[in-house]
Amino acid sequence: MAINSGRDKVVPGQLVWTNVQSVMTMDYLGTETFKAFDSLGRPEVFDKERVICVSDHLVPPPTQAFATLLNQWREAVKAHDIKYFYDLGRQGIAHQIMVEQGHVLPGTLSIGTDSHANTYGAVGAVGNAVSVSDAAVAMATGKSWFRVPETVKFHITGKWQPWVMAKDLSLHIMGMMHWNGHLIYKTIEFDGPAISDLEMAGRMTLCNMTVDLGAKNGIIAPDAKTAEFLSPVQKGNWNYVTSDSDAVYEKIYEVDVTNLVPTISMPDKLDEVRRVEEVQGTKFNKAFVGTCTNGRLEDIEMMTRILKGKQVHRDVNFVLVPASTQVYLDAIKAGYITDLVEAGVAVDTPSCASCAGIHTGVAGDGDIVLSAGNRNMKGRMGSKNAQIYLTSPAVVAASALTGVITDPRSL
Amino acid sequence: MVIRGKAWVSDNYVMSYDMVLQKDWTSPINKEENAKWIMAGVSEEFNQEGAFRDAGYTFIVARHNFAGGGKSIEHCVTGLMGAGIKAVLADSFARLQFRNAINYGLPFITCKDIADIARTGDELEFNPSTGEIKNLTNGQSKISVPVSPFVAEVAEAGGIMDFIRKRIAEGTVDELM
Ligand code: SF4
Repeated sequence: MAINSGRDKVVPGQLVWTNVQSVMTMDYLGTETFKAFDSLGRPEVFDKERVICVSDHLVPPPTQAFATLLNQWREAVKAHDIKYFYDLGRQGIAHQIMVEQGHVLPGTLSIGTDSHANTYGAVGAVGNAVSVSDAAVAMATGKSWFRVPETVKFHITGKWQPWVMAKDLSLHIMGMMHWNGHLIYKTIEFDGPAISDLEMAGRMTLCNMTVDLGAKNGIIAPDAKTAEFLSPVQKGNWNYVTSDSDAVYEKIYEVDVTNLVPTISMPDKLDEVRRVEEVQGTKFNKAFVGTCTNGRLEDIEMMTRILKGKQVHRDVNFVLVPASTQVYLDAIKAGYITDLVEAGVAVDTPSCASCAGIHTGVAGDGDIVLSAGNRNMKGRMGSKNAQIYLTSPAVVAASALTGVITDPRSL
Repeated sequence: MVIRGKAWVSDNYVMSYDMVLQKDWTSPINKEENAKWIMAGVSEEFNQEGAFRDAGYTFIVARHNFAGGGKSIEHCVTGLMGAGIKAVLADSFARLQFRNAINYGLPFITCKDIADIARTGDELEFNPSTGEIKNLTNGQSKISVPVSPFVAEVAEAGGIMDFIRKRIAEGTVDELM
């Protein structure tokens, strides 16, 4: 934040205006964002290559009302001459696009009008969700105000066990910390050997869910993997930024992943977390893998390892929605999509899908959903009379074979 | 200016997605409109058009993570303002709505264990210059966490949009640090 606000140093609690690398907005709030921008009195956005527009929540439109909304959105994007517009056909979930297409860079700060902008921390960027007004202000000025957060560190050690994923660590931390204020407004820095071992997909999962912990953002210092991931796509240059050697952490938490097991969050309450083995045998009827948390190639690969050559249980409807067109294409090329369709998984074009209860497999009354998404409050995926368990793609896939919640290690 | 009025005290987490129901997420931002169904999902008693607004509360008192659940939509804050809420007092606030409250100039006041000294219907008084929150019904009081000058400045300008609009018009927007 110091670098991006032209200062030598900033201290927690200080309010500063900082430069932003990218401003992201997407279909359902984008029209309002451009309207707000227009009211500020600047004729053009601060940088047409750094305002990124994505269609993800409403595509393809399930209703006439959304189709109309999308038309207004496309008009607004066109009118502002935005260079990077990921519309239907090239779409993906905005946060996936921002990282995958190199719109966020280590050591810089980017904002978006959606809560899971925290995902950008996977490449060592600060990602922050903001409102329509904040995005409009940043589109006009290239700046946004921030309160410099306190930082807590999660030092993650040990060896990842088979079938245990970054999602399990996320949920485990959720169960450790609860929503009682420990992490509110804070930056969570993840480091340690088990973080270095994670590929970018797992890092994205981990940073993505820091917003659900109540944190301001999550961040992982860039390393060689980050550089390799970004080099073909990065929109701009960056330098390695790590924590100052004298960095002050409000608290350091230690987690050893050697002991981590498949983990699940109970319906309605994200912070009520169990080991999968504790709820093994629970019946469910819908399975969902997708979202900005777990819709990436590595997640699809994990599903395929479990489901290839087998059949999804007849009582389970399984929907997979890849996080972006690129992910979809990669999964097709790798043969995963064929294997999964043969196993009885329905695959849909990239979008947020049922994650926000808007379209593609929403939940109805009485549904019990096993989801690899990030939120499970009442009504999140549709009906208030549905139950949503959150877990990893490995657990969703293993359970889909048996029709009851199943620990993948038991297969 | 001292704020005085009746409080609604929450006995549970108040989540943003309960404050504004999903069908209203894409509706235009407008205080009066957004006030109609504000808090509809928080409690069954508010699940009627205008129910929360017409109850005539000035304060909301809550515990941790007020307006949590990660929604960035501004309707939560505009809806509360349209419903006559002049301040929310809580142990902690969810970051996104805390930010929106600052941008709209609605005081979100942090005060430890404030819910211990208030019940729904109590008459409260908040003095922004001293930070004191007094419960006029039972005589108890607490001191809140001071508010940063920036927050007051934005509120005075009438919110972040006007704050920036004015600076763009004057040509001073690039000086913001
Ligand atoms: S996938 Fe779900 S959590 Fe992620 S941006 Fe879309 S609706 Fe939000």
